[in-house]
Amino acid sequence: MYDKDSNMLDRVLSMFQTVQDESHGSVILVFIIGIFFGSIIQYAKVHKFEKIAGFAMLKDTVVPKMLFLAIGITSIGLFFMIQFGWASYHIKPIMLGGLILGGIIFGVSMAIFGKCPGTGPVSVAEGRVDIMVGAIGGILGGLVFTVYYDKFQLIMGTNLGKISLTSYFEDTQGFVALIFGIILIAISIAIPLIEEIDEDDIGYQK
Amino acid sequence: MIKKIPWWVGGLLMALLLLFSFSIFGADRPIGASTYVPYFAGMIFDLDPEKYVYLTKINQPGSWEGVMLLGVLFGAFFNAIFITKTFRLTIVPAAWKKYKNNSVASRLIWSFVSGFFLIIGARLAGGCTSGHFMSGMSQTAISSIIFGVVVMIALFITGKLFYKDNADV
Repeated sequence: MYDKDSNMLDRVLSMFQTVQDESHGSVILVFIIGIFFGSIIQYAKVHKFEKIAGFAMLKDTVVPKMLFLAIGITSIGLFFMIQFGWASYHIKPIMLGGLILGGIIFGVSMAIFGKCPGTGPVSVAEGRVDIMVGAIGGILGGLVFTVYYDKFQLIMGTNLGKISLTSYFEDTQGFVALIFGIILIAISIAIPLIEEIDEDDIGYQK
Repeated sequence: MIKKIPWWVGGLLMALLLLFSFSIFGADRPIGASTYVPYFAGMIFDLDPEKYVYLTKINQPGSWEGVMLLGVLFGAFFNAIFITKTFRLTIVPAAWKKYKNNSVASRLIWSFVSGFFLIIGARLAGGCTSGHFMSGMSQTAISSIIFGVVVMIALFITGKLFYKDNADV
């Protein structure tokens, strides 16, 4: 325990080194991606409790509108980027136990917390004390998951493969990706815009 | 100075960022935002990766997301102080007061518990709103579509049962 600080520093340095050694962008680039990611969320206000818990209560629809639009555009763009050899799919495996039980736990927690792991840090940076407390809970959740990973693996179930919707279609993959994207964009436009406003938020402008 | 963008500008910019991250000109990987949590837990509690296999498994994505998270915190803090002026220390969100209660203790306990389970749920499923919902569904991944549907159902049921329908105020 005595050299915990130095050990922590070693681990932080190792984090930067790992990123630098990988071929997924330099440390600076990844940091900049983070700045943009956080700023887009922050300017669109989708990290607010009113937006996320508000969506759960069906009193605010900014989150699904933005989410479905982003997914729709990305799915179309990504398909063509893959055709040009500019990107590749990184599909997550189907593990039914983990997806269903994890999805239920995640959905319930997200409705109560009013944040998800990507939006929480934006609120922490804006001084939301409740979210800082939740982040401590989250880190303990990460600790428990890491320590009891073998037990959690039993719940997650077997890997049924990394399958995408487009892989079910042979010759018409591009068409399927395009339709998928158009449907999501249409859904994002069709969802009526309703907003739950945080009156205390002086940064807010309608 | 712009302090807020409409949902469609946010969606468009997020799509461009996701595409950039996916591309070989960017990071050649999807954006994810929940693997960094157990990664930081391993760091803070000084867990030995040789003893805990999960840490070895997440070493690369955890590092990547860890650096990205530093960017998120830095950018959001900078904006909150200088541009959006949204920095202020608060405990109970406005809508919590309106649809739940005014209790600081209630909000903090629920935040702690839901923060804990949020990460358990995300790690069980192998992703969160970023990795599964945005990045995963953009790849038309079946796993992410299943996750998305389950999360939405759980979200709405909780929203209905956990909060009051009509505002007190």
